[in-house]
Amino acid sequence: MTESIGIDVGGTFTDLVGVREDGAVRTGKVLSTPSDQSEGVERSLREAGAEAGNVARIVHGTTVVTNMLLERRGAKVVLCATAGATDLLELRRQERAALYDLSAQHPAPLVPPERVVAVPGRIAPEGVLEDLSEDMAAIVAGRVAGESPEIVAVSLLHSYADATHERRLAEALARRLPGVDVVCSSDILPEIREYERTTTTCCEAYARPGVGVYLRRLADRLRALGLPSPGVVGSGGGMADAVDAARAAASLALSGPAGGVAGAALVARLAGFDRALSIDIGGTSADVGLILDGEPLVEAGGLVAGVPIALPRVLVETVSAGGGSIGWVDEGGALRAGPRSAGAVPGPVAFGRGGTQPTVTDAHVALGNIAASHMSDAVRVDADAARAAVARLAAQVGSTVERTAEAVVAAADAAMARALRRVSVERGIDPRSCVLVAFGGGGPLHACALADRLGMTRVLVPPHAGVLSALGLAVAPERRTAIGSVMARLDAMTADSLSSIFDGLAARTGSAPHVVNVARMRYRGQGHELEVAWEAGAAPDALASRFAAVHQRRYGFVLPLPVEVVSARVVRSGDTRAVALARRGEGTWSADAGVDDGSQFTATLRGRRVIALPDATLLVPDGWTARSLEIGGWMVERA
Amino acid sequence: MSFDPLSLSVMSHAVSMIAEEMGTVLERGALSPNIRERRDASSALFDAQGRMIAQAAHIPVHLGAMPESVRAVIERHPEPGDVFLLNDPFRGGSHLPDLTMVEAIGLEGTLVGFSAVRAHHADVGGISPGSMPRGATELVQEGIIVPPVRIARGDEFNADLLALVLANVRTPDERMGDLQAQRAACAAGRDGWVALLQREGVERMRAAGAALLDYTERRARARIAQLGAVSGSARDALEGDGVTEDDVVVAVAVRAIGDTLQLDFTGTSPMVRGNVNCPAAVTRAASVFVLRTLLEDDVPTNDGIARALDLRIPAGCAIDARWPAAVAAGNVEMSQRITDTLFAALDDAGVAVPAQGQGTMNNITFGGDGWTFYETLGGGQGASARGPGPDAVHVGMSNTRNTPIESLEQAYPLRIDEYAVRRGSGGSGRHRGGDGVVRRYRVLARCTVTLVTERRRHRPKGAHGGGPGSAGQNLLNGEPIPAKCRIELNPGDVVSVMTPGGGGWGEGAAY
Repeated sequence: MTESIGIDVGGTFTDLVGVREDGAVRTGKVLSTPSDQSEGVERSLREAGAEAGNVARIVHGTTVVTNMLLERRGAKVVLCATAGATDLLELRRQERAALYDLSAQHPAPLVPPERVVAVPGRIAPEGVLEDLSEDMAAIVAGRVAGESPEIVAVSLLHSYADATHERRLAEALARRLPGVDVVCSSDILPEIREYERTTTTCCEAYARPGVGVYLRRLADRLRALGLPSPGVVGSGGGMADAVDAARAAASLALSGPAGGVAGAALVARLAGFDRALSIDIGGTSADVGLILDGEPLVEAGGLVAGVPIALPRVLVETVSAGGGSIGWVDEGGALRAGPRSAGAVPGPVAFGRGGTQPTVTDAHVALGNIAASHMSDAVRVDADAARAAVARLAAQVGSTVERTAEAVVAAADAAMARALRRVSVERGIDPRSCVLVAFGGGGPLHACALADRLGMTRVLVPPHAGVLSALGLAVAPERRTAIGSVMARLDAMTADSLSSIFDGLAARTGSAPHVVNVARMRYRGQGHELEVAWEAGAAPDALASRFAAVHQRRYGFVLPLPVEVVSARVVRSGDTRAVALARRGEGTWSADAGVDDGSQFTATLRGRRVIALPDATLLVPDGWTARSLEIGGWMVERA
Repeated sequence: MSFDPLSLSVMSHAVSMIAEEMGTVLERGALSPNIRERRDASSALFDAQGRMIAQAAHIPVHLGAMPESVRAVIERHPEPGDVFLLNDPFRGGSHLPDLTMVEAIGLEGTLVGFSAVRAHHADVGGISPGSMPRGATELVQEGIIVPPVRIARGDEFNADLLALVLANVRTPDERMGDLQAQRAACAAGRDGWVALLQREGVERMRAAGAALLDYTERRARARIAQLGAVSGSARDALEGDGVTEDDVVVAVAVRAIGDTLQLDFTGTSPMVRGNVNCPAAVTRAASVFVLRTLLEDDVPTNDGIARALDLRIPAGCAIDARWPAAVAAGNVEMSQRITDTLFAALDDAGVAVPAQGQGTMNNITFGGDGWTFYETLGGGQGASARGPGPDAVHVGMSNTRNTPIESLEQAYPLRIDEYAVRRGSGGSGRHRGGDGVVRRYRVLARCTVTLVTERRRHRPKGAHGGGPGSAGQNLLNGEPIPAKCRIELNPGDVVSVMTPGGGGWGEGAAY
């Protein structure tokens, strides 16, 4: 029987989950290899005994792009922009960084002004005004070459309507700079509004070389093992194959975290909850998501590490707080945790891999919150070393080891609680109406304390809590999207012309079973489109009345104006893989029962308890009660 | 009924979300680029007493002024389902292009609140295309005046009244589309508010609204008390009223008295002939904005801020304009000068504030056969003790976005030859002032351009030894044209607007 394997690379661990055709689940975990994530991926597959015959697919969630944006470590990009409009990245949309904080600055753009090259020639809405000749394109290409770019972004005015100049320049660049990739805005986001299109295109260029190197290296490793080429989950939650993913780098900015929220939504649904906050606490950071009506909340676009990316993505907020966050004393004498992290290497003192500074994990160990000896990959917990490290910090503040450890944990809790609050409260969702799905190595450890800070009373610790993101990846549906610019009046179109547009796009989306055809439409003069489904073969009249109905429903009126089709999109997706989560055995839990993922015992346990899970520890504080679930895992409630 | 801080915060955000949703409906449904791209609009929700509970935070100049609209509507004895339209600056409006729609929200026949949407329309008639005339001396010259009137009942427009309004504007189709979108936005606010009341209960929401206002007031007062018993004063001036070049003085004395901030505008110029006067609602908005910048980010923005202010405005002066004064430029330019003067007075009082920013909105209006286009341009923000001033942003009372070049060119016979950062225009200093922008428009059809701009003579000042920002400059085909002017253009003409830089902060070279 073959398996779908999900692999999530975090700052500390690389997690693996295999889901068999019958829904059975197995898990694995190895230490991450930050200098080349693919090394850890390969090791996790070897240890899981993955072989050519038993692997249907491998789905990967990666933080390669997120890290590049956070650390501003992407490619050296040269941007080619229409002469007279070369400062778009600095001008943004003119709005200030904060309405009332007058000194707040926007983050610096990914391409500095000195690496923007002006392109002559001009396209207007009505067509080419001033030609970009082959000769001029060659001159521009020469200027670009003088900057020795690793990759070139091309974003010219009105290219959503007419991409001929972008194409011509791309060809000239290919001749002048063989081997240097060129990213055209008309391919990445063929939509009106030059700023949004340009920043998204630059983000693609900035991330693409790094993503390409990484995915090629990974594919090579898998090939050597006789395994299929990997798929990658994008920020929107769908899976693309490695070839497509390497050319959609900007849509991988939230690849890993999107898998985590998908996994949280899956277990929340199975446990009977349709509204949840999710928190995935790893070694270096915590990712917070929101689940409404059983699905991860998807937003139309937004900032990642201060970079605007106009592509749909699952809402995830990341804070620099995790098990590896280092405790320290600030100038004012207050105890802090993070944002500096000991990461995977050297890691917490307790793991004995060279760490010397006390971390949040060390504080938990000192408090007896972490059950020793159940860690993967031969990690051992050295409680004495952890206590000694916390004791050094305690000496600095003149307090006891226990109080100091509690303060370090509380500082990390505060940062995470703020993120949970922002994600829910700022969207008008009362966190108290949500269940908190807590996972990742540190999630079940902090969950009840976080819930208390937000007045939440229910915590769901799912089965496979230590590797839930990988589970979300393993079941992710394949998805391919093709977008095309149309820019035509609907009354000038026919059923045939509509069909040929959608057929052309569909041909680029593979053969998965579910196809959605969407026309993005508006009244002439409007600046924003409504999405209207197109049934195969439907005539313009049918589409027009459907548009009117959608407009009436959304805005409460229709206008006596011509209707335009701005662009068309075909999304083809596969099924979410089925997964069978169930308790495997019955028995009575006892303190020395050892590792329990809720799959072995029926139990109701009152706090305070420390329950060892595989690669995670569930801390049930005083005043909370944990109950094992039918699907495995634990429901922890304030009572 | 008492509320813990989390409940209050959830309520506050729940109401803000509805206001944001209203803004989204407006932006997505509207036709004119000034509303759909630049978001020159605000939406807000009010309780049954007319107290503003939440506003979608877009445009500070609307902030303190929207409650006046609802107050004016309440005087007309609204019934649930009545929808009012108004723009009269002396009966709840600001300046004529800002058409404000207010819906009286009913629940089971009882009035339970108001949803209000203010949007800057690209033309409301009057002597000049775009209705931002230079040199108007009476309100009636600036466009159609709409006192609070019932423009719709529920979702049904009053066809006669609508016909009267549309007959008085240059671009009736675009106005109709924008008004429809405004109506839809009010309805979205109504639906959201009713749903919230049904979920939380009318009584509980009434109490929550009062608690939110009290909470904001407490935070504002606590901040004022923290300043200590400080006082300071400042004077600044507009560069003419559009009729003459004489300075129009704004003066203010600021005093923190206990936990109240007293702002005394004695010494401000009397009303002037031209249209840079503003009604007191705009003065109030500028004052609320300045106090809001001193508060922490998490303080809910509502009517509670104004309660901590003691405003003293000489009756009938240029910032308390009365009928029949012209006011079109007062809302956009006088409001900026009031803000500048207030910040300067706070600086004089020893409160840490930035140096002067560009101090103008750079109002640009084009109008031709069957079309009008209005936009405003960002410039340099002043530097502060914390760092350099941001480049190319709106400062003070506006935060509208730019018009994307592509959207503008698709809608109008205009081409943008250049849109760039105006390098080096920020003032020198330890921290440099922000740079302004350059925008060059090539016109493709016969039309007129109207410019209402400031800081073309008096440069934005630096602070604590920092240098001034560059003055702004307007050009026609490379030749200087006045700060405030109306000019007939032929195809091929190029209008260039260079916006001012912000003032620098601190002595010494920038690093």
